[in-house]
Order: sequence, then C-alpha cells, then structure tokens
Amino acid sequence: MPSDITGRVNRRTLLTVAGAGGIAGLSGCVGFGGDEESGDGGDGSGNDDGDGSGSDDGNGGSDGGGPDTIVFGQPGALTGSFDFLQPGVSQAADAAVRHINEAGGPLDAELELVRRDTGVDPQEARTVTTQLIENDDAAAIVGLFSSEINPLWDFLQDLQTPVVTPWPGSTFLDTRGGDKGTPDDVSDDEWVWRTVVGDTVHTGGSAVYALEEGFETLGIINGNTEGERSYVDGFLSVYEENGGTVAERVEVELGSSSYQSALSRLFDADFDAFLVSMPQESAITALSDWSDGGYGRQPILSDTLAQQAVIDQVGSDLHGAWAASPGRSGPSYDTFEEIYAEEGDAEINGWTPPSWDAVQVTALAIERAGEATPEAIQRNLGPVSRGEGTTVGTFAEGKEALANGEEITYEGAATPVDFTEHGNVFGSVTISTAEEGGFVETTEVPAEDVREYVAEGEY
Amino acid sequence: MGLLQELIFGLVTGSYIAIAAIGFTLIYGIVNMINFAYGEYLTLGAFIGFLAANALPGPLPVAVVAAMIGGGIVSIVLARGFFTPINHTGPVPMLLTSIGLGIALRNAIRLVGGRSARYFETETATFRFDAIPDVPVGPVDLLGGFFVTSEHLIVIGSAVAVFVSIHALLTRTDVGIAMRAMGDDESLARVRGIDTQLIRDSVWVLAGVLAGLAGVLMAVQTNVSADTGFSHILQILSAAILGGAGSPYGAILGAYVIGLVLAVSTAFLPSSMTGLSSAMAFVILIAVLLVKPSGIAGTEVREA
Repeated sequence: MPSDITGRVNRRTLLTVAGAGGIAGLSGCVGFGGDEESGDGGDGSGNDDGDGSGSDDGNGGSDGGGPDTIVFGQPGALTGSFDFLQPGVSQAADAAVRHINEAGGPLDAELELVRRDTGVDPQEARTVTTQLIENDDAAAIVGLFSSEINPLWDFLQDLQTPVVTPWPGSTFLDTRGGDKGTPDDVSDDEWVWRTVVGDTVHTGGSAVYALEEGFETLGIINGNTEGERSYVDGFLSVYEENGGTVAERVEVELGSSSYQSALSRLFDADFDAFLVSMPQESAITALSDWSDGGYGRQPILSDTLAQQAVIDQVGSDLHGAWAASPGRSGPSYDTFEEIYAEEGDAEINGWTPPSWDAVQVTALAIERAGEATPEAIQRNLGPVSRGEGTTVGTFAEGKEALANGEEITYEGAATPVDFTEHGNVFGSVTISTAEEGGFVETTEVPAEDVREYVAEGEY
Repeated sequence: MGLLQELIFGLVTGSYIAIAAIGFTLIYGIVNMINFAYGEYLTLGAFIGFLAANALPGPLPVAVVAAMIGGGIVSIVLARGFFTPINHTGPVPMLLTSIGLGIALRNAIRLVGGRSARYFETETATFRFDAIPDVPVGPVDLLGGFFVTSEHLIVIGSAVAVFVSIHALLTRTDVGIAMRAMGDDESLARVRGIDTQLIRDSVWVLAGVLAGLAGVLMAVQTNVSADTGFSHILQILSAAILGGAGSPYGAILGAYVIGLVLAVSTAFLPSSMTGLSSAMAFVILIAVLLVKPSGIAGTEVREA
C-alpha cells in the first residue's frame, strides 16, 4: 500500500511538472497581450544587417537588398479608460500603413502594423512592448500613454527602440525624450518622441483663452490621479503666471457615487469659471451633480471630456462649456483626412492625426536611413522632421524626394512635426464649445501664441 | 453651504451603502462567510435593471422591481453553484471562493457587456430651501439654505422602506425569526427543527434582492459598467464591520457613519487633503474597532 501511494504521488508530481512545463512553454509562444491584429513576426526589421547604406549621415534611399517586411508595434487602448479614443487612432495608423505600402513601402519593403492591447495598464504595457519587440520584431513602437511611459521610463530606455507615440500629454516628457539636437550621437538620446502636443502646450492654450475671455479667477475640481493633477498643474503654470488666480481647488476620488460635497465646497468660493479635470465617467457624475445643484458659472473641461456622451448625460446646462484640445489641423491635414475617410468611419479625435503622423514620420526615418534598425530610425527622426530640406506632407512625397537625393522636412496632419530637442512638437490648440448637437470647434489658439509662454529648452 | 446640507449629502451616500450593507451582513451573520463577490451582485442588478428599463414598458420602478427579482435569482443560483457545496469547509475557503468568483464575474461582465458605461435616462427635479437662516458657530454654519433632488429623496425613501421591511421580516415572520436564531446558534436552531438550508437559501435570495435594488440606485446616480458594484465594495464591507458584522441594524448605523464622514470630511478637510475623504472613513473604522472590536452594534467577535 505505501508503495502504491508513493507511486501515485510520483505520477501526480510528474503530471504536475509536465503540465506546468507545457503551460510555461506555451506561454512563451502564445501572446496574451490580446487583440493582436496582424503580423507574423516579420523577417527583417530590427535586424542589424539591413542594407547598411547611409546609416550614419545619409540619405541612403532604398537601393535594394533591404528587408521584405518591416514591422511597427502599436500598444493600444483597446480596453480601459481611454478605449473610446482608440478606434480613431487605430484607423489613422492603418490608413497610414496602407498609404505607405501603396507608395512602395519603406526601403521597398512591406510595412506591417501589429497592434496589441495594454488596457492602459503599465504592467501590461511592459509585457506588450516586450512582445512587440522580441516576438514581432518591431523596429519601432508607435503607441503608449503617459501613464504607461512615465513608470516604464527606464525600461523603455533600456530597450533602445524608438517610441514615437501619438498619446502622451504628460509634462513629465517636456524635458525627456528626443535626440537632444544631436541626431548623429545616440549616446545622449532618450528613446521617446511624441507627435501630439504636450499638456504644457494645450493646457497653456486653454489658460490663454480663459484669460482672454476675462475669466481671471478660477475654481478647480480634479481627480486625485497623476494624469489629472498634471493637467491642472500645466494649466495653472500659464494661468497664474499671467495674472489669473485660483480661488479654490478641490481634489476628489474617482468612481464616487456622488460629488455633491466637493461641489458644495468648491462653489462656496467666489470665482468666474471652474476647471474640471477628471476621466469621463467620473466627470459625468460630477457634472450631473453640478447641474442638479444649480451651481452655474462657466465650466472649462479637460481635453478628454469634449465628447458627445458628456453633453448627452449632463444635459443642456453644459451648453457653453468649452474644452481645449490639441489642434487637428497641421499643414497636411486635408491629405490625411482624405486617405483616412477611405479607411473607415471612426470618429476623428484629438489623437487621430498624431497617430497618422507617428507612422508617417517613422517610415520616413527608415527611408532616409536606408535601414530599418531601431538605432537608424532614432538617428533619422530629427533630420526628417526639422531639417531645411524639401517640405513633404506624406511618405509618398518623401520617398520620391529622398530618391532624388534631397533632404526632406515632414509637415504633419496634426502639427508641423518639428521635433524639439526633447522629441516634442508644438501645434495650435482648438477650443471646442458644447452645443446642442455636440462639441463644435469655435476658435483656435495659434501655436505661436502658446509658444511664447513656454521657455526655450524646457519643452 | 452649511452643515445641514452636508448632512443631507451624507445621508444620501449612507443610504446607498446601507441597503447593500444589510445584504452583505446578513450573509455574514447567517451563512458565516464574507462574500467579496457581493459587489458583482450589485453590478448584475444594475445591468438587469438597465436591460429591463430598455426592454419593458413602464416607468423606472418596473426596472427596479425586475432588478430586485433578477438579483434574487442570480444570488441563489450562484450560491447553489459555488457556496452551498462548500458550506461545510468553513469561512476561509468560502471567502477565497468568493474572491475568485468576484474576479470571474467582473471579467465576464466586462467581456459580455463591454467596457463602455451605460446610463439610465432619468429626469431629476431639484427642491430648494433658501430661506433657512444661517446659524454660524465659528467657521461652520449649522443650518443655512439647502437643496434636495428627487434622486436624493428616492434613495433615502428606498432605504427607509428597506429598513422597515427588514425589521418587520426579522421580528414578525417565522423566516426572519429563524434567521435570527440561526445567526445566534445554527446547531441549536437545527435541533429546534429549523430547516437551516432553507433559511440559508432565503438569506441568499434576500441579499440578492437588496443588491439588485442598491445596484440600480447606484447606477442611476453614476452609470452601469463592470465596476459599478466593485468600486463600492470596500465601503459596504466597512459599513458592515463598523456596525458589527452580522447585525443588520449595525450595518445601517455603520453605513450612515461612513456616509456622513465622507461628506463632512470633504467639506471641512484642508484643500490639499480633500481627496482623502475615503481614508478618513477608514480611520474612523479603525478607531471604532480599537475601542470596540465587535463594532458599534456587535455583541460578539465571530470566529473566522
């Protein structure tokens, strides 16, 4: 009997070890990042051997011998707090890839985009980014949010793969990222670039507009997360520097069933307008409470709240509220819009044109480099965006100019995409006002107006 | 605004929590388990109510009744499927099972229902009482003008109706008296001829009905999403423990203490600390348990 028991235990142990080993083995092969959209791993991108031409300084162009497929990885918000913005961003990236391939592709290779869901969760983003680079052979990453980049900053630097992202507004990135103005020397580089204007710029634009409208005293209600605080801090840095004052600031927990106590406290103070910086669901609860309580005064909303759902749920009391978002109209916006419309019917939001720009400028960097290695892309992102060369609005134009031996400067759909030394872009700020049918773009604060409030070298 | 207005806000918040906390504490007191999946019962109630509001003719109360019935059915089905078979294993395995069930349910709801929030279509009327005189004491105004909304009144009214019904059930019906007997001593109750499994099932149904009601009320105020109930489970748990785990009357008291602390701390904490109002509620919980480990209305510390 004892030997039977021992035998049974051994068999169980064996099965357990075999099962665990099998699962572990499978987990290495199967992606759990979810919603991988395409890509078989590619076969050439990210390799060191490319075709080797012009990797240091040059306009190597596509002279044959390059990879058959080049992969870009896109960590996305297919689920999570910002999933409602992802369809437009995905469609813009897909449209850009289609356009690039129709133009012959970078280095005459087929460009593939592999998209995986992070749920805007830093740990998931770490896993997904690793999978995209290690399993899918992505030469560049064209996604990631502030709340993913900030905690993963050191990890992303260690990867030494350029992250060109349309998402992050965080002031954390104001002085981090880019090639530091020395494209040939990657030793001082930080491997993150963003094609969307930072919070510093569009919150600055919002603050400038508020002051122009005569709102000189402000109340603030914001969520207690880093992103919400960062938005308010960016706003206040310009608002207070230019004479605005804050009468009361109330910070609240997100997901509460009621914000009446916080509103009651806020509206005891005397101010002209109040700034709301909260995620959409909590903001709808708070603004519904505001409407029920009849508190009145001018609401100023953070950029993610310029959504039809907010008006639908809060009602007509919200009419007249405005939000400042990154401008959508760069020099090549019309071209983008035309190609985008052919791809599908997802609504364009403030992060849609930057998504197009991220794919375009990265593909142009590969074309200029003559190879598809991460380092070559990193070296060429600056030169194709801020140089003195021929102005191009699409990859097709850029490929042709590079083939003619010209230097190029990409002018984007969202902004002119003149990367600063820290990998940031300036652009106009759009003011959208809530009306019966939705948020309507009412005015635009030019990039130059905002730029004068941002210190040189600090963005 | 004055303290009176803050007390009204606290009463409303406390009412949401109290309705759910009664169901939670009944399960603890009679089935002898902490049901961490209870937040998902609220969520399911909210979803059932939302579906009913869109599918059934009639006003919102019809959807509320549908959510209560649906909540009761879901609760007994889940109990029969996951908790009754392990009833004999004791509170810790059942607690762990409930944690796992909660995670599974939450993700299943997210998978089926999607991530996006849904909203009940409701109209809210506001009633103002601005003629109330100020009674300032130092920096605090004890009275002053205030307002209530129709939603506030419905939530408080629903809570009062639940309290009266639960009191009547526990004191005037055989089932309620049997529940109290089981809560005191299950073995003795069984010896006296009480069908303890039937009473357990009754508790599961009752807790599900209350979860359905609380879920819809919370969803009307906020939204219907996979996290509707989960985001409130800590407050519900705290109310039940603060009042004395297992005691419905204690849970009501605990819920209102937490609701009032949330409201008053948001109103009177320094500006830099207003985001910590929930933490203040837990500070109160810890303080009460240090002084009286059985909670405000509790009479015993149960073995766990």
